[in-house]
Amino acid sequence: MELNLLWVIQLAPLAAFLLVQFLPKGAKKTAPVFAILLALAAACASIKLFSLHADGSSLPAQYLHPWLSVSDQTLWPFVAIKDYALSVGFLVDRLNLLMITVVTTITFFVQLFSFYYMAEDESRARYFAFLSFFAFSMTGLVLSSNLLQTFLFWELVGLASYMLIGFWYQKPSASTAARKAFVINRLADLGFYLGILLLFILFGSVDYLNLKTEALTAALPQGTLTALGLLVFMGVMGKSAQFPFHVWLPDAMEGPTPVSALIHSATMVAAGVFLLSRAFGLFSASITTLTFILIIGTLTACVGAMLATVQRDIKRILAYSTMSQLGLMVMAIGAGSAVAGMFHLATHAYFKSLLFLTAGAFIHRFHTNDIWEIGTAGGKKERLALAALALGLFSLSGIFPFAGFFSKDMILETLHEHGGLFYYAALFVSFLTAYYSFRLLFIITRSKVSASHHEDTHTHHGSALLDLCRALPLISLAAISVVVGLTGTSVFDFKLLHWLGGEQTHLNLEILTTTTLLILAAGSLAFWKFSDPEAAEKRLRENKSPLHLALERKLFIDDAYDFLVKKVGLGIAALLDRFDRAFINGVLVNGTSYFILNIGRWLSRVQSGLLQDYLAWVMTAGVAVIFWAAHLASKGLS
Amino acid sequence: MNPASLQSYLLISSALFALGIFGLLMRRNLIAMLISLELVLNSASLNFVALNKFCLPDKSLGQVFVIFIVALAAAEVCIALSLILWFYRKQETVNVEDAKELKG
Repeated sequence: MELNLLWVIQLAPLAAFLLVQFLPKGAKKTAPVFAILLALAAACASIKLFSLHADGSSLPAQYLHPWLSVSDQTLWPFVAIKDYALSVGFLVDRLNLLMITVVTTITFFVQLFSFYYMAEDESRARYFAFLSFFAFSMTGLVLSSNLLQTFLFWELVGLASYMLIGFWYQKPSASTAARKAFVINRLADLGFYLGILLLFILFGSVDYLNLKTEALTAALPQGTLTALGLLVFMGVMGKSAQFPFHVWLPDAMEGPTPVSALIHSATMVAAGVFLLSRAFGLFSASITTLTFILIIGTLTACVGAMLATVQRDIKRILAYSTMSQLGLMVMAIGAGSAVAGMFHLATHAYFKSLLFLTAGAFIHRFHTNDIWEIGTAGGKKERLALAALALGLFSLSGIFPFAGFFSKDMILETLHEHGGLFYYAALFVSFLTAYYSFRLLFIITRSKVSASHHEDTHTHHGSALLDLCRALPLISLAAISVVVGLTGTSVFDFKLLHWLGGEQTHLNLEILTTTTLLILAAGSLAFWKFSDPEAAEKRLRENKSPLHLALERKLFIDDAYDFLVKKVGLGIAALLDRFDRAFINGVLVNGTSYFILNIGRWLSRVQSGLLQDYLAWVMTAGVAVIFWAAHLASKGLS
Repeated sequence: MNPASLQSYLLISSALFALGIFGLLMRRNLIAMLISLELVLNSASLNFVALNKFCLPDKSLGQVFVIFIVALAAAEVCIALSLILWFYRKQETVNVEDAKELKG
C-alpha cells in the first residue's frame, strides 16, 4: 500500500511529462488537463501517505534496491579496504513526509493557476511538460534515500529550473537569467558533489539513516567532518540562494510567475534547507560548520531583506524576501534547530507561493511588474487578489495569528537561546520584512487609480473555468497557510512540531512583544514614507540617499561579480593567453620546429651531390666502425 | 728489414691502398678514379697472395681469390667504362663534379 502510494507520487508527474511530450500536435491543447490531473493524483497520494503516518508509527521506513556494489581493493589507496555498496530507494520519515506534502500540494495549485496564467501562451504544452518534469525531479529529490540519489535529482531540478526560467527564451533577459542561474548552481554543485564523493570514500556510506552525528564523529577526525560539511553546504548555498551565490534568484524572476511561485520560492530553493535538515547529522558533527552555516544564513537574511526594501518590481521584492526567509531558515538550522527551520520552510512555502500567485494575478491583469503602476492601474480593485496578498504579507511579516508568526517566532526563540548577535540580526530582518511588506501593501492600496489606466486594461474574463482556476488556488493556499501555521500551536489535535520531534510553540511573551513592537514600528515607518505613493515616488525621483543608491545597485554584489569575471577573470585569461602565445606556442612548439628545421637545413649541406664527398663519408664511417670494433675487441680481451 | 718478409709485402699493399683511396677521393676525372680503384683492388690481391705465402704455404686459397678479383676487376671495368662512356656522350665531359643530377 505504502510503496504503491510512493510510486504514484514519484511517477505521476513523470507520466504527465511524457504524456504531454508525446501528445500529437493536434491534441496539445489538452496538455494542462493531464498535467493538472496527474499532479492532483500525486497530491492526493501524498496526503494519504501523510495521514497514514500521522500517528508517527513505523517511521522511518525504507524501500531499498541494491544498485552498485564496489569491492575493488584499489579504489582508494589511503584508506582501509572496505566493500562499498550503493542502493537506491525511497526513504520515508517525518521530514520528507512533510516536505512531499508541501511539494505536491503546491505543485497542484500552481499547475491549476498556470492554466489561467498561461491560457493565451502559444507553447503552454511545453510549459506544462517542464512543470511536470520539475515536479517529478522534486519528488525524487525529497524521497531519495541517500545523498547521491538526491544529487541526481538535485541536478534535474536545476535543469528544470533552467528550462523554466528561460521559458520565454526569445527574451534575451530571460535566456541570460537562465544561464546565470545554471552556471552559478553548477559552480556550487561542484562542492556538493566533491563532498558526496569524499564522504562515500572516507565514511563508506551516503545513506541518510547512517549519517548520524555519533557515527560520523567516531569514524572521522573533526577537521575532515568540517570540510565535508562545508563542501555539502556549498551545494545548499547555490540552490537556496545563500550569500554570495544568491545573485541568480532575483534574475530567475524572468520566468513565468507561477514558475517563480513553485520553483523559486516554495520548493526548489527550499530544497537546500531540506537537505540541511535531512543530512543534519553531517552538519552538526562539526561546530565550525554549524557556525559557518549560521553566519552565511545571517548574511543572506540581512542582505535579502535590505535589498527587498528598494525594489519596484513586485516579483523582485518577493524574490529578495524569499532569499531573506531562506536565510532565516538556514540560521535556524545553523543554530541547531532543524525543526524550526523545517516548520518555517513549510509555512513559508505556502504563504510565499500564495504571494507569488497573487503577484501573478496582478501581472496578468495589468501587464506590469512595477508596484506603482499596479497601484495606479487599479490594483486595489482586484478584491480577491488583494485579500490574498494582504494575508500573505501579514503572514510574511509575522503578525499574530498568521502562519509566519509561529514559525518565525520559533526561529527567533532558537536564536535567542543560541545567544550572540544572531538574535539581533534576526530581529533586524523581521523589522525589514515588515517594512517592505507594508511598503508593498501601501503602495498598491493607497495609489490613486487613474481612469485612463483603468480603461485600457483589457478584459478577458471569458470563461468561468479560467476564473475558477485563478480563484481556487489563491483561496486554498491562503486557507492552508493559516492552517499550517496553527498546526504548530496547540489548537489542533495534530501537533506538527511535536510530530517532527520538537516542541510545540508556546507564547514567549518577551519575543512576542519585541516582534509586535518591531512590526508596529516598521508599519508606521512604511506608512509615513508611502502613505502617499505618488509623493513618495516623486521624492525618490528627486533625491536618493547614498544607502538607497547602494541598495538599488544590489549592494554592489553583482558589480563585484562583474569585476571578478571581467577584470580579474579576463585579466588572468589575458595573462595566460600571453603565456600561451609566447611560451607554449612561441618557444615550445615553434621553437622545436625551427630547431629541427635548422638542423635539417644544416645537415642537408652534407648532401653535396658530389660522388667523392659521399665516398669520403663512407670511408670515415668505415674507419670509425673499425676503430669501435677494435675498441670492443680490446675490452673483451682484457 | 728483410725484403722477403711479410711486413714488407703488407707495407707495399697498404701504400697501394692509400694511393688508390687518395686518387679516388682527389681526382675529378672519372677514368682516373677508375684507375685508382684498380690500385685498391690490386692492394687487396697483393695482401691475399702475401698472406697465403707466409701463413698457409701449402695451400692456394689466397691465389684462388686473386684470380676471382682479377676476373671481377675485368667485369667491373667493363661496366664502369661503359657507364663513363654513356656519361661522356651525354655531358661531353668525364668530370665527376658534373655528375650530380640526382642531387635534390
